Amino acid sequence: MKKLVLVAFLFFGSKTLFAQGCSDAGICSIDKGFDRETDSVRQVIETAVVYSLGEADVKYVSPYVAYTKHFSSKFSFTARVTYSTATGSFGTRSQFGDAFLIGNYRFKPTKQKQWSAMLGFKFPFTASNLKINGYSLPLDYQSSLGTIDVLAGTALKTGNFDWQVAVQIPVVNLNRNSYFSEYSGTNDFPSTNLFERKPDALFRATYSWQLPSRKLTLRPNVLFIYHLGEDTYENIFSKRESIAGSDGLTVNLNAVANYRLTRNQQFEVSVAAPVVVREVRPDGLTRSFVLGVSYQVSF
Amino acid sequence: MRTLVLIVCSFLLFGCSEEGFLTSGRLAENIAPDASLQYSGNFVPTAGISVAGAAQIYFSEGSYKVQLTGFSISNGPDLKVYLSKSDVPNNFVNLGNLSSQTVYEIPNSVAVADYGYVLIHCQQYNHLFAVAALTQN
Repeated sequence: MKKLVLVAFLFFGSKTLFAQGCSDAGICSIDKGFDRETDSVRQVIETAVVYSLGEADVKYVSPYVAYTKHFSSKFSFTARVTYSTATGSFGTRSQFGDAFLIGNYRFKPTKQKQWSAMLGFKFPFTASNLKINGYSLPLDYQSSLGTIDVLAGTALKTGNFDWQVAVQIPVVNLNRNSYFSEYSGTNDFPSTNLFERKPDALFRATYSWQLPSRKLTLRPNVLFIYHLGEDTYENIFSKRESIAGSDGLTVNLNAVANYRLTRNQQFEVSVAAPVVVREVRPDGLTRSFVLGVSYQVSF
Repeated sequence: MRTLVLIVCSFLLFGCSEEGFLTSGRLAENIAPDASLQYSGNFVPTAGISVAGAAQIYFSEGSYKVQLTGFSISNGPDLKVYLSKSDVPNNFVNLGNLSSQTVYEIPNSVAVADYGYVLIHCQQYNHLFAVAALTQN
């Protein structure tokens, strides 16, 4: 495993480090939608705080709270609400981001294999046009992209490995962002006036390594996100324009340490950093470093 | 029940902000004393809106600027200043957010003579607030 990580770093080492973040896209943390709990658990409440570094000098603190209800051994439902505070040269802007409603279905397990599927929606709390002092802000400062998205995916667990594929498709665009680089006083962020975003596809491979004490589980994983097309915006001449280089691949390396405090309580730390990024990242989801801590109680 | 819904909605809409270097107010654009007035027009409101004042386009040192004079308008979210080819926002140049500043620079690539109107438009809700038809001075 060490060699694998080392080879990955050497292969991608020349690239600038940026991760596609998880404040809005949802797709980064989509594995939360795949159920890992045992049959005896009926409800789970999770709270988390994510600290991350973005483009230019932007820093984020993004807490969320999630509730999962297990209706049966096969079917569960998760609701999650995010909040985000972004701080940088434009100032500080805090606001609720999105609500995620996700259903998960676990198929009957076979020898060493467990399939599951998830389907959900993301609803924004804002139109992605938050301002400070009347100044329009780039998407990097917005707590949501202002789109209603469909999230769908499937996961396969084989032994110590988890394999996940998923898509996040914006189906209703409520984005009314009005940021123009030309009028902002900085070139750090591209114009995103009336931004329209393309879908994402995700592939994640996770290895779970439980320590002998059985309390601590380590889950290193690699996350591939492909942005399926160039995003667009309306330029100052009222013409829609593609943002060249905004499509393409992002690859993140992520390490998760999960510690079981008691039978019903878990504490988790997650660290992520990117190794491959898109050429242009107008959606404000770019992170150079992500650190998350979460606490989970089930009953 | 209504109170509960209101409280929940208020909670979800709660947000806060603090200004930074790029949002603490910039140097206001000014019209040079030797600038020549090229076009002007008085604002006329759309239904339910009150507006006063005029739009004036000046030319100075190779560039055009729009100045709003004696200007006031009903409050609205996300109001923009457009230099438009018609009295509806179909084909226009977005000059930025309507703010306390009264002067808006027109990009050099714009053929100002092709644009006969200045509009005040709420972009977020796509609602036109006021129109000033320009005439050449």
